[in-house]
Amino acid sequence: MGYGQAGACVMSSLAEMAAIFVAPKDRDAVLGDLAETGASGWSALGSVLGLVVRQQMELWRAWQPWVASSVALAGSLLLLAVSFGLSVNTRHLLRGERGYGSVLFEALLMVSWAWTSGFVVGSLSGKTRWVSGILCAIPCLSCVLRFQDTSLSRLCVLLFLLPGLVGAVQGVRCAHLSHRTALTLAIAMTALMLAWGGMYMRNWFLLLPAWWLVAHAERSKRSDEKEAA
Amino acid sequence: MLGEFEYILVTVAAGLGESAYGAAIREEIEESAGRSCSIGALYTTIERLEKKGMLKTWMGEATAQRGGRAKRMVRVTPKGMHAAKEFYEAMMGVSRNASWATGKPERAS
Repeated sequence: MGYGQAGACVMSSLAEMAAIFVAPKDRDAVLGDLAETGASGWSALGSVLGLVVRQQMELWRAWQPWVASSVALAGSLLLLAVSFGLSVNTRHLLRGERGYGSVLFEALLMVSWAWTSGFVVGSLSGKTRWVSGILCAIPCLSCVLRFQDTSLSRLCVLLFLLPGLVGAVQGVRCAHLSHRTALTLAIAMTALMLAWGGMYMRNWFLLLPAWWLVAHAERSKRSDEKEAA
Repeated sequence: MLGEFEYILVTVAAGLGESAYGAAIREEIEESAGRSCSIGALYTTIERLEKKGMLKTWMGEATAQRGGRAKRMVRVTPKGMHAAKEFYEAMMGVSRNASWATGKPERAS
């Protein structure tokens, strides 16, 4: 076997490997088409990669991945600050410089903000969830690596990750909450925020996913009622 | 309304009838329309048209020529035929006064 043939074989194998990223129902058909038309080597690899890129681009024609990515990035940036604030306040609490109530409210809010943001990201991302994941991970990684407060663990800024991930997984599994659950959650979170006194722009922004879930649940409820009628 | 490439794909698939599948459609587009058609453009357009309800696809037979891999068969739905007819009529309508359609010499601008 010459170098040319060996190269073509390698490229064909790479094309088969790249086909893993093609939507499952197209995979066999595409590789079969390439075999039938005698495409091999670079041509086969280029065709498969072209399809992968186009399929990914096609996903971005909808608005959902854009919203999910924006929430993942913005939510991650804001929740890093919330996690850090909570860690500092917990330290004050342990030193007796702060009351339990305030820190408890802050912790509850952080968990609910992270969970609702995660839920929105999970339910809207679909096949672009890897992009949302990367957009959430970049600020986290950057913040952890540049963390300079020696009195706290650098991982303290990642407190929001666990509730956020739980929310994202639940968002992937069920696309929307029931209307009653979403409304109760949003009202409880708003009330908690008002009681805590943290009415900053940042916190209002973090409330948006909860109220978006209410609007989405309302729309789903209406369309269900329409279908039933 | 269909896009240009969507129209070409639907028309070619309708013309191929029962033997419309990925490689055959691609070959026919390249031969009859005289333009290259990448696998990426073909399959993403098939997917989009199927979502719009203009095509129906299913996995067909596997042959030795295809390395034992199945074909993705394509059929144009009545909705797809209606959309293609609409596109065709719209193109005929807008082209009726064009010099290349009437055969008359082009007017000076």
